[in-house]
Amino acid sequence: MKENNILEIKDLHIDINMMEGKLTPVRGVSFDIRKGETLGLVGESGCGKSITCKAILGINDKKCVPHGQIMFDCEDTGETDLLSLNPKGKEIRNVRGKQISMIFQEPMVAFSPMYTIGNQINEATLLHITKDKKKAKEITLEVMRKVGIANVEKRYKQYPHEFSGGMLQRALIAMALVCNPKLLIADEPTTALDVTIQAQILELMQELQKEFNMAILFITHDLGVVARMCDRVAVMYLGRIVESGPAATIYADPEHPYTRGLIGSVHKIGGKKEDRLFSIPGTVPLAMNLSKACGFYDRCDARIEGLCDKAEPDLVEIAPGHCVACFNCPHEACRKQKEEAMARIKAEEEAAAAQPENEKGGKKRGKR
Amino acid sequence: MAKKIKSKEDYYLASQWTLMFRKLKKHKLAKISLIILAILYIGALFADFLAPYGLDEFDGLYKDTAPTAIHWKFEDKNVGPHVYKIKKIIDKKTFEVKFEDDTTEYYPVKFFVHGTEYKILGVFKCDLHLFGIGEGSNGGTGAKIMLFGADTLGRDIFSRVLLGARISLTIPFASAIISFFLGIAIGSISGYFGGALDMVIQRIIEVIGAVPQIPLWMALSAAIPSGISTIKMYFYMTVILSFINWTGMARIVRGKFLSLKNEDYVMAARLSGVSTWKIIWKHMVPGFMSYLIVSMTLGIPGSIVGETSMSYLGLGIKSPATSWGVLLQEASTVTDVASHPHKLIPIIFVTITVLAYNFLGDGLRDAADPYK
Amino acid sequence: MEENTIISESGATAETKSSVPGSTGGFFRSFWGAIVDFFKKDLVRYIVRRVLMFIPTLILISILVFFVIQLPPGDYVSAHIAQLATEGELVDADYAAQMREDYGLDLPVWQQYLKWVKDIVWTPTDSTYYRLYHSHHNWKFSFAYGRDVWSVIKDRLGLTILVSAVIMIFQYVVSIPIAVYASTHQYSPGDYISAVIGFIGTAIPNFIFAIILMYLSYKWTGNANVGLFSQEMLQNGVHLYNFGEFLKRMIIPIIVIGTSGTCGIIRSVRAQMLDETARQYTLTARAKGVSERKIVMKYCFRAAMNPTVSGLGGVLSSLFSGSTVTAMVLNMQIQGPVLYKALQSQDMYLAGAIVMVQAVLVVIGILLSDIALAFLDPRIRYSGGNR
Repeated sequence: MKENNILEIKDLHIDINMMEGKLTPVRGVSFDIRKGETLGLVGESGCGKSITCKAILGINDKKCVPHGQIMFDCEDTGETDLLSLNPKGKEIRNVRGKQISMIFQEPMVAFSPMYTIGNQINEATLLHITKDKKKAKEITLEVMRKVGIANVEKRYKQYPHEFSGGMLQRALIAMALVCNPKLLIADEPTTALDVTIQAQILELMQELQKEFNMAILFITHDLGVVARMCDRVAVMYLGRIVESGPAATIYADPEHPYTRGLIGSVHKIGGKKEDRLFSIPGTVPLAMNLSKACGFYDRCDARIEGLCDKAEPDLVEIAPGHCVACFNCPHEACRKQKEEAMARIKAEEEAAAAQPENEKGGKKRGKR
Repeated sequence: MAKKIKSKEDYYLASQWTLMFRKLKKHKLAKISLIILAILYIGALFADFLAPYGLDEFDGLYKDTAPTAIHWKFEDKNVGPHVYKIKKIIDKKTFEVKFEDDTTEYYPVKFFVHGTEYKILGVFKCDLHLFGIGEGSNGGTGAKIMLFGADTLGRDIFSRVLLGARISLTIPFASAIISFFLGIAIGSISGYFGGALDMVIQRIIEVIGAVPQIPLWMALSAAIPSGISTIKMYFYMTVILSFINWTGMARIVRGKFLSLKNEDYVMAARLSGVSTWKIIWKHMVPGFMSYLIVSMTLGIPGSIVGETSMSYLGLGIKSPATSWGVLLQEASTVTDVASHPHKLIPIIFVTITVLAYNFLGDGLRDAADPYK
Repeated sequence: MEENTIISESGATAETKSSVPGSTGGFFRSFWGAIVDFFKKDLVRYIVRRVLMFIPTLILISILVFFVIQLPPGDYVSAHIAQLATEGELVDADYAAQMREDYGLDLPVWQQYLKWVKDIVWTPTDSTYYRLYHSHHNWKFSFAYGRDVWSVIKDRLGLTILVSAVIMIFQYVVSIPIAVYASTHQYSPGDYISAVIGFIGTAIPNFIFAIILMYLSYKWTGNANVGLFSQEMLQNGVHLYNFGEFLKRMIIPIIVIGTSGTCGIIRSVRAQMLDETARQYTLTARAKGVSERKIVMKYCFRAAMNPTVSGLGGVLSSLFSGSTVTAMVLNMQIQGPVLYKALQSQDMYLAGAIVMVQAVLVVIGILLSDIALAFLDPRIRYSGGNR
């Protein structure tokens, strides 16, 4: 692992075995997170963001089978591949909640209605910090106070249904931060909240990040939030990362057509009245029985016929820290990849020259 | 690819019932259950033809005999399926009565024989039976074929199971249909109008639900006058069984009504001046019909057990009318069962029917669930 | 933060309301305030409301039972006269009319109902009034037993409750661990086996199951173990030394009556557990580092217990239902056979009373389970039971 990195994901694949066939929601994702930074993972619903994060903690459904490597700098065992740990075992449980925590999209259902908020936060304290009940409660109360819950003594004894959504999200953050983790995974933490509350929560997270000096993996489909929160951004599409780089670069100079589309579809202050808001045509295809084509091929406005429908580009670095997976990009690295791919396709076509390939792609385009 | 797209469109365009049926076909247990139930009901429909003997045909010689054995070889010659007549033997020492096969002559099993007269579907007179016993090889008569043995009066249990199925299989079904309509009517009134009426109906449902089923059925059965015709008895039993079952249905209908009442399409119908009953029947009920059918199916097993239990006690269907419960009266003590285990055979039919309805109901429930 | 203010506000209003306006003396005011505060507690309010709702239910049950009593063709008097006639005693029309008047059978139905209710609530069995006028003219008189209904019921009530309680405990003790196992090992062989046994257990009618077990017991041990008590126990009573024998005689009833209910509980608890394991909060707990075992026991099991507890009334009801016929086959000294005997002799007052007692027991069961649920489920405590 590189210096400064606390988490490195290498070529992560996740399969889901279903009755109808094999679903591959994540197809070769690689990224790393540095100490203290915020990495934004952006994409439409169903692109594999959440499932990737759950794979880090090993809390995916039994049906999900991950391959690849997730390296993490564990406190006691040093660099460890989290995927190699038994998902029910003690080692990974020692990572969960203590070194890597997670907060969820819907705080309203993230707590069990049967126990008090205090009990549920305190559970993490008791598990990871101290067995002394009195001390644990003090620590818990302190963290609850820190996340902005007033009147903590009373709140400690209350049940989730007595909390509002925003308050529950604060409690959830308290639960995640109680053990002072190195990495916080935030899975769309503000999606289910009112806009005003959203701002409060984001502010809180930024403050706490400074105080605790932790890294945040921020998952969202909201580019506005990303711009505000993140140092770096990785854009995900159909189980792959299509572009990644520093947030400023991505916003100023998006290279992948999908990223361009995403940024184009955000409201801009000062735009002309008659400008229609841009939208990407079509929907994300189902990650099952995928063809060889680039995942974005059907919806792309910059596709190259005869290439994009026959090969899928890899993520290549076009500038320091800025990577793109697209053939149709003017940078040197991309052009090189494009030429190689074309040569390969040509060779393959010549080999199979006897059988004329049916023009599936062409027909489909005609239909649109 | 084109085919796939077509099947997808087909899927989106298919009606709710088509989808349900398709899913049901995938559910193996439910499919098997459906086939078994179909066989049972067809068997009951043509019971007179399938049964070799009539309901009350008896032979004192054969009382309490075990199922008749069917042989193929007679004196080392292959003569086809045949049975022997039985003869009574008294043990000279213990004076115990025993029965033995009289192997001096054989009686061939024949198909399409003439026997007791009956009416096909209650209309045409006929005396043809699927199988029966022909004349003995030496011209003797009086042999019987009793596949499930005989009861204390020497009646063929196989025939009686088939003929009794006509009552045992249809009463629960008929009562389910009555409860179905009663449940929709009362449940929709309760759910659609709400208010005090709803309150009263809900309390009544609660109370009926609180009273233990079988004791209540038993108490209600006291209202059946003695010495009435089979048809009246049938009618009374059906009504008594429905008395409890409609409550479950009404509760579902009410719940669905409460949730659908404020849906936009109902509001739209009301705004365009559609009458209340038409809204209920045309717009609301079809939306949850599948749930009702599932719950109706799952309610039938309870009625079957109820009818059997009550008839067994002599409180439901009474002799001479015959249902499976009546047949089981013969097996009411340990001594009966110990000496004539074949009298438990009707229980196999009760169990299979109940299981089949349970599995079918489970399959329907899965099929009706749009999220599966 | 904004919700904090709301809470403190509501707390303040509660305080101002709980003090009674006017000056009736400090002691009284504080006393009254304490009572008001007590009833202001959600839990107490909830329980009081549930208990109050018990009353209309009771009235409706009595109407239902009265309806059942009225159902058979002919009235009580004609049945009584027919009974006398079989004993060779002929009754003239005047006597019948007199009797009808005594019973109030000439009154409109609703007055008859009120009279019947009054008789239940009012008439003390040992009063002279009762003996003089009502010995044979009262709902409390049972033909079949020749004494008053309540004494007949009382004979068996204790044992009925005891047997039901034992079977119920058996059902829960057996089914809950199986259900938890089946849900945590979904689609495992154990899961399938429990499902198959469950289906068969519900499909075979209880009484047949009883006969089969009796037969097996007879075959293997030479004793059919019929009845709850041996001849010896009936003479000397149940003591410690023959309690083992009593327990032995409980085995078949427990298996027979318990099985069908057990299967039902297994199915519903398993489904509940599976529902709960799919909930988001199990994921939260897992992300916190909680062990799988603790997730199942602390979170899922605890949440699945609520519907199980609220199903207690239904379990009790089906238990009475199942035990009625089985008791006749096994010759158990509980209420089932009495009901049967009553119905055979058209003794509707006794039959109605038994149905009523069972229904009331079930309703009490429901009431208790509701109260238990209020203690178990914080949401009910909070909302005051507005389900």
